[in-house]
Amino acid sequence: MKTGKKHLLALVAVSMLLLAATFAVAASATRYLHVRVNNPATHELVKVNVPLALAERVIPAINHGELRDGKIHVGNFTADNVDVRQILDALKTAPEGEFVTVQNTDDDIRVAKENGQVVVQVIDKQSKETVDVTVPWDVVQALISDTSKDQLNVEAAIKALENLGSDTTLVRVNSKDENVRVWVDSRNTDSE
Amino acid sequence: MIFLAKLGMGVLGAALVGGAALSSEGFIHVKVHEKQPNGTNVNLFVPAVLATTALHFVPDRNFSHGSDHLRECLPIIDAAIPALEESPDGLLVEVIDPSEHVRVSKAGASIVVDVNDAEDVVHVSVPLGAAQSAIHRVAEARPAD
Repeated sequence: MKTGKKHLLALVAVSMLLLAATFAVAASATRYLHVRVNNPATHELVKVNVPLALAERVIPAINHGELRDGKIHVGNFTADNVDVRQILDALKTAPEGEFVTVQNTDDDIRVAKENGQVVVQVIDKQSKETVDVTVPWDVVQALISDTSKDQLNVEAAIKALENLGSDTTLVRVNSKDENVRVWVDSRNTDSE
Repeated sequence: MIFLAKLGMGVLGAALVGGAALSSEGFIHVKVHEKQPNGTNVNLFVPAVLATTALHFVPDRNFSHGSDHLRECLPIIDAAIPALEESPDGLLVEVIDPSEHVRVSKAGASIVVDVNDAEDVVHVSVPLGAAQSAIHRVAEARPAD
């Protein structure tokens, strides 16, 4: 009986180890940033698949133009005395819901916080173009972390994207000329 | 007889060591097929170490046009290539239009470019380490006076 118990304990220990190893492997799976641009009129298609680990190492090495030390300088980030960083700070504590809805003859614009994500939707009524931007809250926070007021922290945002547990579509643009999709997942192909 | 055996062993050893040295950095593979009738077919396997070594014998003046720009990009290239070597294999970029199909992918320790257009089919595979050495050679060339 004692030997049986020992065997059972050993079996449980091995199973736990295997389970931990499986989780470790799953957690370290390479994440990819995908961009797909499709022009149905000209039958042109561009696909880009970038391992986020690659981007994470390359971005800090770029010191050119507005991008330095992993941070991009954004001109007029305060947008006519509206401090975007303060707005984002306020959004952080705000409950989920719709924040901005603009409906006029040309566009419909909607900004909301939904399921821990900042969602921006724009519909151009003239051209029938739609733009959907979904940014997980962790990524928004990373973008403004450790920055001065006119900067966005691209390196931190990439790290945050890498740590996202789920597949996420970040940008989707549909127009009569072009369809664009930018998303993050763990596949090295751009299959949806 | 013993002398011949020793000589044979020496030649074989030298060939093995030489072969290992030549293939240590992998091979550059270039394959070009011209689609036109009687078009040229080229299929070239070159040890990458030969190509990178040969670059050291090319006079600096031949690289002077690109060296300034490449020198600025060296930190990016030095960050990107090791990261790419560690990345899993897969398609990085693909462009498809009615007249052309271009694929850039990572396969093993090489970067592979495939182009298929109306005139040619081109396949180029370059070991990442060799690409890095070649870029360094061009970037470090002294500018022309």
